[in-house]
Amino acid sequence: MKTFLAGLSLLAMTGGSALAADYPVKEIQGIIQWGAGGSTDTVMRAVTPHAAEALGGNIVMQNKTGGVGAIALRYVQQQDADGYTLLMGAENPQMYKVLGLGTDDYTDMVPINVLARGVPMFVANNDAPYNSMTEFVEYAKANPGEVRVGSTGPGGLTSIVLAMLTDQEDVEFTRVPYDGDGPALTALQGGAIDVMPAVLGAAIEGVKAGRMKVIGLVDTQPNDLLPGVVPITEEIPGFADYLPWGPFFGVFVKKGTPDEVVAELQAAYAEGAKNPDFIELMEDRGFIVMSIAGDEAMDFLESYRSTSSWLVHDAGFSKKSPEEFDIPRP
Amino acid sequence: MDTLLALLTVFTQPQLFLLVGLGTFLGVYIGAIPGLSVTMAVSILISFTFSWDVYPAISLMVGIYMGGVYGGSRTAILLNIPGAPSAIATAMDGYPMAQRGEAGEAIGVTTVMSFFGGLVGIAVLALAAPFVAEFALTFQPRDYMLLAVLGILLVGSLSAGSLLKGIFAGALGIAIGAVGRDPLTFAERFTFDFQIMEGGISFIAVMIGMFGISEALLQLHHVGAEAMRQKIDRIVPSWSTVRKYLPLSLQTSSIGVIIGALPGTGGDIAALMAYDHAKRVTKKPTRPFGTGAMEGLVAPETANNAAVGGAFVPMMTLGIPGDAVTAIMIGALFIHGLNPGPMLMVDQPQMFWFIVGALLTANVFILICGLTGIKLFTKIVEMPRAVLIPLIMLLSVVGAYAVNNSVTDVYWMLGFGVFGYFMRHYGYPLGPVILGVILSRLLDDNWRRAIISEREDLGAFSAGIFGSPLSLTLLLVVVAIFVSQTPVYAMLKSRISKRAADQA
Amino acid sequence: MKIDYRGDADHHDGTSDATPGGYETERRPGELAFALFLLVASLYLLWEAYGIAGFEALSSAGAVPMATTAAMAVSALIIVLRTARLPKVSTESLARDILPFKVILFGGLLVCFGLLLVPLGFLPTAALFLVLAIKYLSGRGWGFTLAVSLGSLLLIWVVFRIVFTVLMPAGIVPEAELLQFFRNLGTGGGAQ
Repeated sequence: MKTFLAGLSLLAMTGGSALAADYPVKEIQGIIQWGAGGSTDTVMRAVTPHAAEALGGNIVMQNKTGGVGAIALRYVQQQDADGYTLLMGAENPQMYKVLGLGTDDYTDMVPINVLARGVPMFVANNDAPYNSMTEFVEYAKANPGEVRVGSTGPGGLTSIVLAMLTDQEDVEFTRVPYDGDGPALTALQGGAIDVMPAVLGAAIEGVKAGRMKVIGLVDTQPNDLLPGVVPITEEIPGFADYLPWGPFFGVFVKKGTPDEVVAELQAAYAEGAKNPDFIELMEDRGFIVMSIAGDEAMDFLESYRSTSSWLVHDAGFSKKSPEEFDIPRP
Repeated sequence: MDTLLALLTVFTQPQLFLLVGLGTFLGVYIGAIPGLSVTMAVSILISFTFSWDVYPAISLMVGIYMGGVYGGSRTAILLNIPGAPSAIATAMDGYPMAQRGEAGEAIGVTTVMSFFGGLVGIAVLALAAPFVAEFALTFQPRDYMLLAVLGILLVGSLSAGSLLKGIFAGALGIAIGAVGRDPLTFAERFTFDFQIMEGGISFIAVMIGMFGISEALLQLHHVGAEAMRQKIDRIVPSWSTVRKYLPLSLQTSSIGVIIGALPGTGGDIAALMAYDHAKRVTKKPTRPFGTGAMEGLVAPETANNAAVGGAFVPMMTLGIPGDAVTAIMIGALFIHGLNPGPMLMVDQPQMFWFIVGALLTANVFILICGLTGIKLFTKIVEMPRAVLIPLIMLLSVVGAYAVNNSVTDVYWMLGFGVFGYFMRHYGYPLGPVILGVILSRLLDDNWRRAIISEREDLGAFSAGIFGSPLSLTLLLVVVAIFVSQTPVYAMLKSRISKRAADQA
Repeated sequence: MKIDYRGDADHHDGTSDATPGGYETERRPGELAFALFLLVASLYLLWEAYGIAGFEALSSAGAVPMATTAAMAVSALIIVLRTARLPKVSTESLARDILPFKVILFGGLLVCFGLLLVPLGFLPTAALFLVLAIKYLSGRGWGFTLAVSLGSLLLIWVVFRIVFTVLMPAGIVPEAELLQFFRNLGTGGGAQ
């Protein structure tokens, strides 16, 4: 059996090197998990042309939406493992297994580059009678169920950040569902919801313009873009258990893609992510550029999955236990 | 002074001016082909214009957007296949005109009125953007829900045949819109445990199937028939014609701007609402609605072009997209190093005025592109059906695939094409199906948001409606329209008019 | 409002979708069966909608689907009852007026198109479809058929594949590789 496997991998490698010698010989398809105009879309469209240039090829990006991104992931997993189909996604797939949304996640793929990580924060309507996490928690405890919090579905950023909060403090909210942080932040400005945990980049412009206020920064250290806002760990020390944590964007290929091809893609995206325009763009929006691949990326993905899966499971809205998939408790 | 200079940027730089023109020209064709959408074109342009400066990139996008919204009317009039969802209402009176050989006239009026609608939208954007944006923000989930209910009542005016069949079609549309994983709770709805159903049914695929394939299948009955010769000698409408429709188009443009400015509703809903409005207020249409009434053409076309200006209102003032295309343009601004958001107007007002200028230019180019080259388009209708029918079918397949690069969509498109064929034969109107699909999410999501916000308390929910002037107004409009469609009202009306006649 | 007579003889006479086919006082062949089909389908969908969340909450994911499928079922039931009472159109038959051979043939062609699209690829399937359809409908010579169908296919392919980079299923034709080959030729030539 062992020799058979070795033979097989040898075969794959020789086949791969023949392939990789002049990779790419045709356009590469980049499947974007989310719709046009969203943050995943914007990040991917901002970095990919630089990466394509480094690769000396052509990467055609297409949006394939639906099923919380599971449709795109499944599509990529159904194609040949030849490096001609890339998945350009966000953090969602790491929750597919426990939420019963799909059978595969990023650990069943090969990371080309985990480009950047976002920092979550709590924003509130300007008229809300609280200005910090401490005040917010007090208010929520005094008025259980009164605070309307925007949510982006089970497993989304809001649900996980709220799970962290409810794990630490005994609070109750009314959760109003939105299909993305954009519409929810719009609703926040119009007063339809009171509080929204959102990624910094999505809310920063509104905060700068004074249309909403930050009441908590879900990170262990202060952020340059938010002067005067203390990290949440200073108000609720228990958050340190989960942090740093944040949504991320990454490029992935199917497992079994020839190593040479993976290496070429990794080099190309690493080069693309170094582009000053891209870095400036990400920093302006409060994203932390990571540009990691290989084991480092795997560790990051694994840690995200384990923290989030168990949070979701303990909060009681998982479909399956993380244990079923051998996801270790953090 | 700076404002004026920024507004005139497009005119002072021939390169930008030409790019807007080129964009508009391409947009007309993109809009006219079902399956090629402005959304798609603009997102491809992001990669294409990646290394450009921001002004040329935006010029091209603005042109394509304006041209595309207008272009949807072309195939709606000529082939009864709306090139874009916002042109569905246009087909209802535009196609009958083409059947009478009046395609040229129809296109001429459409062009001039689109121009007018576009102008109204731009004017509102330029003069009142901050106010309109603040107004749009005050819409609560319950208001969106009432808006959706209002939209659903349009079924009455979209189904001239049997109202009952119209209701069925509308409800079917809402059900189609619900298929797939619910985006709010991730619950599976109508998926029958098939993986391919999870992504839901693309509504463009439904539209292409119902209008494209079923129309082509029907046309098979008359392959041999001679195509109608189109009169294209009087394309530019006379001033008196234009003047006649100005009051109506002002009203429908206002509908377009407001609906366009609301995040979550766009030109498609605006056009259908405007059509309904025209049907209500027009006492003496040129012909009965549905048989080639000019008013039925003017209303949706002014509204959907006015919605373009409307969609830019929240985008430019708040960084909130008014529709899918402005969402991508926000991404484009971001990629080009700007920070679209509420501060954009403060930090870089010249960008705002540049876009207003580009929109104005694109609008003028609509007149130019629209009133020329009609001959080429009418030639398409005069093509032998033996060639036209297979081509429509092929384009429908390609178009359905292109929406989401999915073969599943092609299957849906074919399925709904055949289903639509039977619906047409047996007197079920197709318009309400599309209406239902468009409104499904708006109704469903906002109903749930509204009732969740009140913690499942119907009492608090109604108190909320009666406590807000906006909600109350919307509710009253809904009730008024509903009553006007029921037999009670017709009875009352006939009794009153009879009494009036007796007295006279 | 009286609906215009809109049978096949004068279909597309200047009416449109706002006034669809069908007659007010008579039922067309197959109309009752279609109405029955809609009723059964609506009832099944209603059951399916109930299965989403039952009567759990006003705000559940199943609330609107249940309401809308209930509306479908009720309207379909009334339609069936009304249709059943109407007399049949005496001048029409299913085979001639609703499903003539041509329509069935094209329905079949489209199904084949759908089935072959992925394994065979877009270009060969579309070419096959256009050639067969145009040849059959026009009854003209092979020269005309091939020129028109391949010419228009090329145009559509250029617009969608090259301008809009819509990657249609490639199937047996390595179009992407070919395209890249020509692109390389182009850029190579341009560099010199």
